[in-house]
Amino acid sequence: MRKIVHIDMDAFYASVEQRDDPALRGRPVVVAWRGLRSVVCAASYEARQFGVRSAMPALRAERLCPDAVFVPPDFTRYRAVSKAVRTIMQRHTDLIEPLSLDEAYLDATHDHQGLGSGTAVARAIRASIREELALTASAGVAPNKFLAKIASDWRKPDGLFVIRPEQVLDFLEVLPAARLPGVGKVMAARLQELGIVTVGNVRALGQLALEAHFGRWGRRLHELSRGIDERAVESARPTQSISSEDTFAQDLPLAALDEPISTLAARTWAAAQVEPRIARTVVLKLKTAEFRILTRSLTPSQSPDSAAELTRIALSLRERVDLPARTLYRLAGVGLQGFSERDEWLGRQVALL
Amino acid sequence: MRFSIQREALLRPLQQVVGVVERRQTLPVLANVLIRVEDGIARFTTSDLEVELSAQVAVETAAEGETTVSARKLFDIVKALPDGSRIDLKQDGERVRLASARSRYSLASLPASQFPVTEAGDVQERIEIDQGSFKKLLARSTFAMALQDVRYYLNGLLVELRNKGLRTVATDGHRLALAETAGVSESELRRQVIVPRKGVLELQRLLEVGDASLELAFSKNHLRARLSDSVVVSKLIDGRFPDYEAVIPIGADKIIQVDRESVRQALSRAAILSNEKYRGVKIEVQPGVLRVIAHNPEQEEAMEEVEAQTLVDKLSVGFNVNYLLDALSAVDSSEVRIRLRDGASSALIESPGDETTRHVVMPLRL
Repeated sequence: MRKIVHIDMDAFYASVEQRDDPALRGRPVVVAWRGLRSVVCAASYEARQFGVRSAMPALRAERLCPDAVFVPPDFTRYRAVSKAVRTIMQRHTDLIEPLSLDEAYLDATHDHQGLGSGTAVARAIRASIREELALTASAGVAPNKFLAKIASDWRKPDGLFVIRPEQVLDFLEVLPAARLPGVGKVMAARLQELGIVTVGNVRALGQLALEAHFGRWGRRLHELSRGIDERAVESARPTQSISSEDTFAQDLPLAALDEPISTLAARTWAAAQVEPRIARTVVLKLKTAEFRILTRSLTPSQSPDSAAELTRIALSLRERVDLPARTLYRLAGVGLQGFSERDEWLGRQVALL
Repeated sequence: MRFSIQREALLRPLQQVVGVVERRQTLPVLANVLIRVEDGIARFTTSDLEVELSAQVAVETAAEGETTVSARKLFDIVKALPDGSRIDLKQDGERVRLASARSRYSLASLPASQFPVTEAGDVQERIEIDQGSFKKLLARSTFAMALQDVRYYLNGLLVELRNKGLRTVATDGHRLALAETAGVSESELRRQVIVPRKGVLELQRLLEVGDASLELAFSKNHLRARLSDSVVVSKLIDGRFPDYEAVIPIGADKIIQVDRESVRQALSRAAILSNEKYRGVKIEVQPGVLRVIAHNPEQEEAMEEVEAQTLVDKLSVGFNVNYLLDALSAVDSSEVRIRLRDGASSALIESPGDETTRHVVMPLRL
C-alpha cells in the first residue's frame, strides 16, 4: 500500500504578499494586475469571505470587495518560495510531482528519514513550512493520488486530513460524486440524471452499467468509486509545452496582432531556454471577442532555432485563420510543444537556400 | 438534365475529379460536382478554388442541362453499385434522382450557376508533350516539394520553359530535384511558373504512361493541362522561386560512382538504426569503397560497405538518409554518380553522362 501526500499551499501568492508586507496582514488581499481585463491570480482568505475567487475578473473582485488591497503578481518571488518548499519536501522523498508553484504530490512510502507514515511526513513538512517560511500549507494523506488531493482540501486552510486504507470506502460512500477528478459540471449533471449524487451511488451502479453509459471513462469512474487510482507520482514529468498568452487591453483585428504576437513569441522563446530539449511544433492560439478559441499549429521540417524564427512562424500562422476579416480578438498566445531530445551524434540539417 | 450510362463509364470521371473536393469547404457548392450534359457528353467538374478538375464521358442523353450534387456521395453510391449496372441520372426539381435496377436515390442539388468555374484568362504560351514524358519529369522532381513551408513559393513545383525545353524543379530548402526534357517548344522564350502542390499531385494522378498527348497552356495566373478526356486548371503561386541554379554545386570534384540498387539497399538497411527524427547517416569514402554508418540515441550502430568506383580518400559527410533514398529512387540508370566536395557541402546525385536529372542534397552538420 502506497502512502501518498498532497501538499497545497494556502492562498499561496496572497500569503507570500502578506508575509512580506506586514501592512497587508489581516486585510483582504487580491493578487492581480491592474487593468480592465485582468483576472485574479490569488485572493487571501480575508478577501474570499467577500466571495472573491481565483480566475475571477479583477473588476468583479473590486466590486465584491471594495476595500481589498490589489497587489500585482511577482512570479519571480513566488518561484523562489516554491523552490524553498520543494527543498523542504526533498528532505523526505525524491518522488515529488509538482502540479504548479503551490501544490505537489509526494510518494512517502519509503521516506528518507524513516518516519514510517505518510501522516508523520505531512506533519513534518507542514511544521517546516510554518517555521522556516512563515507560511501555511494544507496536506492530504491517502493511499493514492486522487484521495490525497481530496483530503488536502478537506481541512483547508492550515489543515491535515488523513484517509487510512480501511476508511477509504466509508469516506467515498457519502462523498459527492462531483468531487471525483474528471467530473465537472456536465458530467455531474449526467450522473444526476441517472440518480447518482454520491460516490456510493456510483459504486452501487456497477461497472457494467457505468461502461454502458460512459464507455472507457465509465470503467475509470468505477475504479475511482472503489478508491482505486494506480497513477504513480512522477517526479520528473517532462515539459509538454511552453507558452505565453496575453489578453489585450482592447479587442484587436488580426492585422493588428503583429506586435503582441512578436512580444509573446519573444517571451515564449526566453522561457524555453531552460529546456534542454528542442520543440518541434509552434502553436498560435487566438480567442475571439466572442470567446471562441482557435489554435493553429505548424511543425516545420526544421525546428525553430531563434526567437526571430519563432516569431516569423507564429505570425505566418495567422494566414491559416479563416474567420471574416472583421473578427476581433481579445487574446493571443504563442506556444512551443512536441519536445524531443537533441541528436547527440548528428547536428542540424544545413539549409540549401 | 437526364442521361443514362454504364456504372464503370461513370465511375472513371468521378474518380478522376473527386480528389480535389475538400472535406470542409468555404463555399457549400464546393462540396459538389458540377455536371454539365451537352452534345452527348457529360462533363464533371470539381474545384477547391485553387485547383479545378474536370473529366468527361459520352452518355446517352435524354435531356441536356446542368446541375451540382455532392461529389463524395455520388462517387460513393456509384462505386458501391454492382459491376455492370446501368445508371440513370436526372434532375427533378431541386433533387437529382439516381436509379439503377432496384436502387433509387434522391440527392440534394445546388444550381450550376453557383459553381465558381475558373476563368483562366488569356493563354500566353502553349506547349504539347506526351503524357509519359511529363509524368517522368514529375516523378523525378515532385518528391522534393515543401509541405506547408512558410516560404509559400516552395510549396509547389517550378515549371520552366527554356531553350525550347521543359524543366521542373522542386526544393524544400534542404534538397532540390531538377528534371528536364528537350524539344517541346519552338519558342526560345523563357517562362517560369510555380504550380501549387495540390495541382501538381492531382495532375500527376491523371497522367498516363505512354504517348497520349498533354497540352500545357500558360496564362497570367493559371496553368491549364488538357489530357485526353480530362482537364486540370491550377492557380499559380504568386511568388519568386529561389535562384535554384546557384545552389547546384559546381565545385563538387570528388566523384564516386556506385551501383544504384546496392547503395539504395545499404542505405535502407542502415537507416533502421538512424535517429528516428533526424534520420542521420554518415557517408565515408575511401578508394574503392563507400561506407554508410548510422547511430541512434540508444548507441546502436550500423555499418554497410558498398563497392564504389572512386579514388576519393578520407571524406566523411552526414546526410538525412531519406533525402538520399528519395534522390536515388528518382534516377533510373543502373549506375549513379555522386559528387561531393567536403564534409560541409552538398551532394549532387545524377546518372553518369546524363544531366537531365539532377538532385542536390544538403548535408547534416557532423
